[in-house]
Amino acid sequence: MRNKLYKWILWGVVVILVAILPRLVNFYYLNFFIAFAIFSLYAVTLNLLLGYMGVLSFGHAMFFGTGAYATALALTHIQGFPLLPAVLVGGLAGGLLALMLSPLLVRVSGTAFAMLTLAFGQLIFVAALKYREVTGGEDGIGGYPIPPLNLPGVLSIDMTDKINFYYFAIAVVAICLYILWFYTKTPFGSLVVGIRDNAMRMDYLGFNLPQTKAINLTVCGAFAGIAGAVHALLMKLVSTVGVLDIHTSFRPIVMAYVGGVGSFFGPIIGSGVLHILEDVVIRFTERIGLVNGAIFVLVVLFAPMGLVGLFRAAKEKWFHKGNAS
Amino acid sequence: MSPTAVLYVAQAIHGLAYGMLLFLVASGLTLIFGMMGILNIAHASFAMLAAYFCFQVLQMTGNFWAALLIAPVFAGICGVVTERFLLRTVHKHGHLAELLITVGIMALILEIVKLFWGTESLVVKIPPSLSGLLNIAGLTYPVYRLFIIGVSIVILGLMALILYKTRLGKIVQAAVSDADMVSALGINTPLVFMLVFGIGIWLAGVAGAVAGPLLTVFPGMADQLGMDAFVVVVVGGFGSLLGAFIVALFLGELNAYGIQFIPRLAPVLMFAFMALVLAFKPMGLFGERE
Repeated sequence: MRNKLYKWILWGVVVILVAILPRLVNFYYLNFFIAFAIFSLYAVTLNLLLGYMGVLSFGHAMFFGTGAYATALALTHIQGFPLLPAVLVGGLAGGLLALMLSPLLVRVSGTAFAMLTLAFGQLIFVAALKYREVTGGEDGIGGYPIPPLNLPGVLSIDMTDKINFYYFAIAVVAICLYILWFYTKTPFGSLVVGIRDNAMRMDYLGFNLPQTKAINLTVCGAFAGIAGAVHALLMKLVSTVGVLDIHTSFRPIVMAYVGGVGSFFGPIIGSGVLHILEDVVIRFTERIGLVNGAIFVLVVLFAPMGLVGLFRAAKEKWFHKGNAS
Repeated sequence: MSPTAVLYVAQAIHGLAYGMLLFLVASGLTLIFGMMGILNIAHASFAMLAAYFCFQVLQMTGNFWAALLIAPVFAGICGVVTERFLLRTVHKHGHLAELLITVGIMALILEIVKLFWGTESLVVKIPPSLSGLLNIAGLTYPVYRLFIIGVSIVILGLMALILYKTRLGKIVQAAVSDADMVSALGINTPLVFMLVFGIGIWLAGVAGAVAGPLLTVFPGMADQLGMDAFVVVVVGGFGSLLGAFIVALFLGELNAYGIQFIPRLAPVLMFAFMALVLAFKPMGLFGERE
């Protein structure tokens, strides 16, 4: 009972902090927070594959980037394309790509899955780099209009305003995260975890494994696409090197690992830690990659369950001594 | 011979040289994967490191041959240290952790290279005895490309000799098919693993050092060489040397002719070929089923 009360208070404090953040900090940190939120969603979708289904997606940027490109292309080429459909188009594109690849991807697991996703990620990266007419190559697509949030006849909110956009982006990410959290709690979500732990048993229990994996992949692809779409709206520029390259694929892996792959909130914590770290490190040195790489190697070496794992171990050690029941 | 035919032959030689380089990198990659189950993402990064070492030694001594000999050995030593202190530590956490640690190493090597040598392309000068063109039967070939092909053939011949004719080779072959059983027979498999990892990195190092003058030495080298070698291993079948050899040569030619006829699509062509193969054979052309 008390535990539950604490939880509600904690959530209340988080919501209030997020709501009054625009009054506390300047625009730089507002954008910083939006980027953190976007990458949290992106890393959570990766963790749904890594932590929940037990396969490592090495080319996750293809979903993120496809979503970003879909949104940017829709806004560039269709006059007066509204805001919410623009975000949904991103999700749709990411989901569609995942669905198209799933017949291949569900047949393999382990290292082969990692290699296949890496290969397709690179295929899409190179294709986007070469098709300049559509994607703009290395320069990318920029200068598309950011439409206002329109409810016909009721209201129209200007999204070029930084604070308005902040609330919109945070709301989209929060809704997506809630849906995903709910998704992991459904029987279907448990089924996915079951496949990770003992695929053969799930098969004998009569569940359709390829179909389950394909659905989970599509969900991950779709939400990664939404993250990409919001990223496209935030940056007002989509370029291959920014959203499709291999480093965009590796970042959520680092985030998930630093935060903790076993838990839903781990990647969010990891995203926060890495963003803060980058912000601090850049004041002293330009070698962010070096610091990130070193931290990643140390985490994989010494804390394979990430910060959440360390926290759980500490809690176990200090609070459950003596009265272990 | 007509000028078009000359062009075709020249492109074929280009393709052969690049294919040989790819196989030098891919052979180590596929051996390591076959034995230890590790997909070494950092493999091409070590090749790049060797290319930088080569540049450095060349600058310090002015002797290209010494650089060519020393650089791969340094890279191999780095590989052995990596295996001993990083990979072996995470071995208990499973293959995924091993895969991830190589990702971390890749990022670290990239940053270290940028830290010491900067981001601009470095030109490795080849000695006069290797530069210029060679005239055979009315055709001119760049000598350096022929040199690459020659070096690759010599090294691969040596490797094949060791792998198929010596006791060590037998142990390695056995460990590829069943490492636990080899260990149970009283052979120190961790030592064999370390050796194979070191030799695999050395092979990649040779490829990197030799490729330096051809591709110029720059931080994106690992990405370029790595992705191509990776495609070779995936298409050829995980852990299959023969598959890697055939696919490396095929991809080298595909690349060379692709650049000649459809320059824009050449890189896409390679990945499209891979997607096609994987759609029908998920374990690669010569790979065994999981």
